[in-house]
Amino acid sequence: MKNKTLLFGITIIIFFSLIAILAPLISPYEPSVIDQNNLLVAPDSRHLLGTDTLGRDLLSRIIYGSRISLSVGLIAVGIATLIGLFFGSLAGYYGGFIDSLIMRFVDIMLCFPTFYLILAVVAILGPSIFNIMIIIGLTSWMGPARLIRGEFLSLKEREFIQAETAIGASHSRIILRHLIPNAIGPVLVNATLGIAGAILLESGLSFLGLGVQPPTASWGNILIESKSTLGVAWWITVFPGMAILITILGFNLIAEGLKKELG
Amino acid sequence: MIMLEIRGLKVNFCLEQKIVPVLNGVDLDLAHGETLVLAGESGSGKTITALAVSRILPRNAKITSGTIKFNGQDILSLDEASLTGLRGKEIAYIFQEPVAYLNPLFTIGNQIMETIILHQQKNKNAAYAEALQLLNLVKIKDPERVIGDYPHQLSGGMNQRAFLAMALACKPRLLIADEPTTALDVTIEAEILKLLLDLKKDLGFSLLFITHNLSIAQRIADRIAIMYQGKIVEEGRRDKIFNSPQHLHTRQLLSAYERIGKI
Repeated sequence: MKNKTLLFGITIIIFFSLIAILAPLISPYEPSVIDQNNLLVAPDSRHLLGTDTLGRDLLSRIIYGSRISLSVGLIAVGIATLIGLFFGSLAGYYGGFIDSLIMRFVDIMLCFPTFYLILAVVAILGPSIFNIMIIIGLTSWMGPARLIRGEFLSLKEREFIQAETAIGASHSRIILRHLIPNAIGPVLVNATLGIAGAILLESGLSFLGLGVQPPTASWGNILIESKSTLGVAWWITVFPGMAILITILGFNLIAEGLKKELG
Repeated sequence: MIMLEIRGLKVNFCLEQKIVPVLNGVDLDLAHGETLVLAGESGSGKTITALAVSRILPRNAKITSGTIKFNGQDILSLDEASLTGLRGKEIAYIFQEPVAYLNPLFTIGNQIMETIILHQQKNKNAAYAEALQLLNLVKIKDPERVIGDYPHQLSGGMNQRAFLAMALACKPRLLIADEPTTALDVTIEAEILKLLLDLKKDLGFSLLFITHNLSIAQRIADRIAIMYQGKIVEEGRRDKIFNSPQHLHTRQLLSAYERIGKI
C-alpha cells in the first residue's frame, strides 16, 4: 500500500484494539486490586508504568481503560452516523418541506452547547458507560447528517440516478443501493474523526467525574486521579495522556489517509 | 395500432422566481413496431418530451396539462408503484453518455441483473445467466469478461451496448433512445444504429429515437417529427419530410444538413 498515512494510522489502531481485546491476557495485574505496600511507585521493572495513589498497577489500568475508551468511541460514532445517514438521506433526497424540517431541527440541535447538554443529561440519568455512548451518539449526528445531505444533493442529479429511475427502481432502492454507497466516502472520513472526538469527550466527562465511574478504569478517569499527585507522580498523568494522544492521532491519520484514498 | 399517444402536453420548469414553459402542447403518436425520430435543435424540448413518457422528469419540471396514453393506460394518473412497474419493464430508455448513466460502483453484470431482478421473479444465478445472454444479444465481444467489468473499464461504444442490454433486459415494448450515439464516433455510431435496428426487428419493440442529426433520421426513421420551441411543428413519413418539407424550421434544418453534406 502506497498510502503511508493510512497504513500508519491503521497500525496504531490495530495495536490498541489488540490491547483492548487481549486485556485479560496481557495485563500484568488486576486493574482494581489495591496494594497498600506499593503506593505511588515510580515506573520500574515490577510496575512498568508505576502505580497510582492506591497502589494499583497503572499499565493494567491503561490496558483495561482502552476497552472503555475505544468502545465508547466506536459505538457513539456508530449511533451518530446511523442517525445522520437516516436524516441526511431523507433531507437530501426528498428536498422541499422534509428537507427544511430536518435541517431546521439540525440547526436547533447545533445551537446547544453539546458538552453542557451532555453534562445535564448525565446529571439526570446518572453516569454509566452505556448512557455515555448513547448520549454522545445522540448529540453528534448533525455533522454526518449535513454531510450526507450535501452529498445527496449533488448525487441525486447525476445521470445514473435518473437511469435507475428509468429502469423502475423505487425511491428506497435508489437511496439504499445507489446513493448511500456513492456518498459513503466522506462519511467514513468524518466518522473516523468522530471516533477521536468521542474518545476525547469521554475522557473529558470522566475527568469531571461524570463519565465512567471508579473503580472501572477509563483513560479519562485515570487522569482525574492524577491531578492531585501531579507534583510527585508524573507517570499517572503522562501515560494515560499519551494513550489518548496516540489513539486520537491514529484515528486522525486514518481519516487523513481515507480522505486521500477515497478522493 | 397506436401504442403511445401524447395530446396537448405542456410542461413548465419552475425556477427560483419564474416559470419557464418548455413544452407548449405536444401531440405525438407512435404505432406498434414503428420507428419515430423526434428531431430538432437543442432546447426544443425533445428530451423533456421523452422523459415525460414515463414521468422521470427533473424535479423542477411540472406537467401542467395534456394526456399521455401508453397502450390505453393514462400515464399521468398512475401512482408511483404502477409507474415503477412500468419503467424498465414496458418502457425503457437509453441515453446520450452511457458512462455517466451507469453507476460507477457496480459491475456491468450487476446493473443488468438489477433490471432483471426488479421486474422478474428470478434468483441471482438465473439473472446472471440472463445478463450474459443479453450481453451476447447486443454483440459485446468477450461477454464473460465484460460482465465483471466496471463502466470506467469499457469504451463508450461498449458501455452503450451494455446499457442497451440493461434496457432490453425485460423485453420492453417501447424503447426511447435519447441521442444514444451523439457521444460516440462515427463508426461506432453506425454499428450501434445497425444493432438497434436489428434488435428492433428481432424483438419487435417500438422505437422513439431522439436526435438533432437528420442523417440518422434519414437512415432509420419510418416517420419523423420536427420539434421547435416546445411544439411539434411538422410530422410525417420520412420521405415526405425530406422531399416536401412544409414548415420553415424543417426547411432550415434540412438546408443546414445539406450544407454540411456538401462540405
